[in-house]
Amino acid sequence: MTDIYLGVAIAEIGIIGILLIRLAIGPTVSDRIVAVNTISTQSALALLFFAAYADRTVDLDVAIWLVSFSYLGAIVWSRYLERGLL
Amino acid sequence: MITEGFVIGLAAVGLFFSLSGAVGILRMPDVYCRIQCSTKAVTLGAIPVLIALVIGEGPISNYGGRALIVAVLLVILSPAASHALARAAYKAGVPMWSGAVRDEPSQRRSRGSGS
Repeated sequence: MTDIYLGVAIAEIGIIGILLIRLAIGPTVSDRIVAVNTISTQSALALLFFAAYADRTVDLDVAIWLVSFSYLGAIVWSRYLERGLL
Repeated sequence: MITEGFVIGLAAVGLFFSLSGAVGILRMPDVYCRIQCSTKAVTLGAIPVLIALVIGEGPISNYGGRALIVAVLLVILSPAASHALARAAYKAGVPMWSGAVRDEPSQRRSRGSGS
């Protein structure tokens, strides 16, 4: 069972590798925000599965933090794009 | 044994949708199409993978409970963030794909000012 968890974590990291290309070549800021959003979701999943594989409870809280604050960051970025600072 | 089968199946479905969402974000011609691909990758790709973790570890354990919390957060926050991002991209004037056929907000605005 734990080998399945490790395989899922490694596959998520491969998907992050695909998304990094869009993060590098994205023409506008919005493309990069979309790529960063998806990267943070996938990395939270990879962290969860690596925690279940290695039996490290510490990483679970890191995953919850990453999910909630990455979406907060996306909302703040879109607010900044919409009407500037403040 | 049957638990393992469920875990493998759900993880395979989730990873397939995550991979197709990543390829869509890489290949789509437009910001708005890419936003659509990213939401598909989250709802259909991340939720089955988290359900696989819940089934594999049990919903009361450390890992299953945290996976449930992450799933609820994703379901609540992902549409809100995508909607805010799409609206901000439209208002910031990010150009649409050259093959796009409808631009409904600008049509509505011009019709409102004309009448």
